[in-house]
Amino acid sequence: MSLLKIEKISKYFGGLAAVKELDLVVDEGEILGMIGPNGAGKTTAFNVISGFYKPDSGRVIFADEDITGLRPDQICKKGIARTFQVVKPFAQLRVLDNVIVGALSRTSNVSRARSKAQDVLAFLQMSALEDQLAGSLPIASRKRLGVAKALATEPKVILLDEAMSGLRPTESQEMIELVRRIRERGITVLLVEHVMKVIMSLADRIIVLHHGEKIAEGQPQNIVQDKAVIDAYLGEVKTDA
Amino acid sequence: MTTSTRADFPKLDASPAPRLKAFLRDWDSVEMVASLLIVGLFGLSPLVIKVPYYLNMIILTALFAYFGLAWNIIGGISGQLLIGFASFVGVGGFVTMVLLIRFSVSPWIGLPISAASSCLLGAFVAFLTLRYGLKVDYLALFSLALMMILKIIAQELDITGRASGMFLSFQKDSLINMTFVGKVPYLYIATGMLLLGVVIQYVTCRSKTGRYLVAIREDEDAAAALGVDTARYKTIALLLGSAMGGLGGGFYAIFSTYLDPALIFGLAFNVSLLIAPIIGGKGTLIGPILGAILNKPLSEWIGGTVSAQRPGVTLVVYGVILMVFILFLPNGIAGLLRVPHERLRVRLRSTERLRNN
Repeated sequence: MSLLKIEKISKYFGGLAAVKELDLVVDEGEILGMIGPNGAGKTTAFNVISGFYKPDSGRVIFADEDITGLRPDQICKKGIARTFQVVKPFAQLRVLDNVIVGALSRTSNVSRARSKAQDVLAFLQMSALEDQLAGSLPIASRKRLGVAKALATEPKVILLDEAMSGLRPTESQEMIELVRRIRERGITVLLVEHVMKVIMSLADRIIVLHHGEKIAEGQPQNIVQDKAVIDAYLGEVKTDA
Repeated sequence: MTTSTRADFPKLDASPAPRLKAFLRDWDSVEMVASLLIVGLFGLSPLVIKVPYYLNMIILTALFAYFGLAWNIIGGISGQLLIGFASFVGVGGFVTMVLLIRFSVSPWIGLPISAASSCLLGAFVAFLTLRYGLKVDYLALFSLALMMILKIIAQELDITGRASGMFLSFQKDSLINMTFVGKVPYLYIATGMLLLGVVIQYVTCRSKTGRYLVAIREDEDAAAALGVDTARYKTIALLLGSAMGGLGGGFYAIFSTYLDPALIFGLAFNVSLLIAPIIGGKGTLIGPILGAILNKPLSEWIGGTVSAQRPGVTLVVYGVILMVFILFLPNGIAGLLRVPHERLRVRLRSTERLRNN
């Protein structure tokens, strides 16, 4: 069953189409990966879904409701949470207080939000960091904190924007485990990722973007054999390396 | 899911010492109690201090601490760069003065009307800020421009006394008119307002609203993504801060017994409003109070020595002080105090862990 549906979304910056006529369906309970080279429009698509950009055309449907053009906070309340590619911790606040802000989206009672935030941190195995200032955390913990804040808003769908980039292999393995456990909680995951290996092992289905358009969609093993994908993405990676 | 520390909490509450430790660990509570102590000292000071000059200084210290707390909600906690705070103070001052002098309305009624008027001005600023996306430097410039406009308006209107401003003259004590020959009654009112300011800020900061405001200050996009209606909460901060500024402005005018548009809407007065929260530590509760305590004697000294020989030097000195604090101590004196507190906190936590194990 589809939970999140994007219909012919376009977003232009000046004359350039960052996303063009993009169609996308996220089924309930799946991990959907979105890949593509730099500038393919992945983050723009995220920003449109989460309300940071208003699309120039097209609709975003969430749980059979048109949420196109709603503000980010309204979309969060509907049940779509996101993380940011460039992490945005509330640097001067403690880790727990960071997560409390997320939990307050479902309750106005601060002490209830606090115990909710503690639960989320325990789920992410971050309880020991509770008391630290978010600004003092290393990058891997900051990424985790971003996920914790998003989870504290009790989302139905979580959008993870490059949650693994910049992590060491062991850290990125931990993050992969974490994403699996998030899905086990019944939360649908939409994942933007640069690291091919990560997405191959994690995603049930993959969508490939190039120049703002969808060039392929399917199971991970089929995607790696797709001619268009190899030309647009994998080929490029090879010449880079 | 409960962590081990939380499960042990009832046991900790049983004896007073751990409760004291829990209190000492919480910076907000420490700050609150320290602030209340200072407010209490202000309130009791007339028992010891009889010289009007010093009483005057304490009144102004309490009042500027209050102004600092008012601005703090906008500029410190929610992080909106509203520099021209004197607009709200000045409007509050003129409303109370006009009501009292032209219409014989008691300041006890005039002050709440002042608060409401400044709040209305705050709503106007909030509307423009959000409608036209005035952020950071644009908001700063706009708020300064607004101050200039208000100055010109006040200088042109007959009801506000045009360029010469308004004078309040009286011969004897009148509780209704809030005019007193001695200083002590003013001191009680100023202390009461500071207490109000402390309570408002403490309650705000402990609530959902305060947590949202700080989140907006730290990162507006991240806050929005977590369900914070940023426009709404920024407006709340502006309304609250401006209303508090208006209330204080009304009292400041009555206490000074005169109101000069060029002074109250002037840059120098505006700087004197911001200096307490900035050197004391913006975004904190005790910061504006400590800042005012440090600043008032300092400004008296500068005014008496440096400025007596070279008028205008005061502003240069203030400029340098502000720059030093903004560059090297962005969290002010309160930020300095947090360093030893953080160490104490860590120690208390580790001893508690040991005991639990």
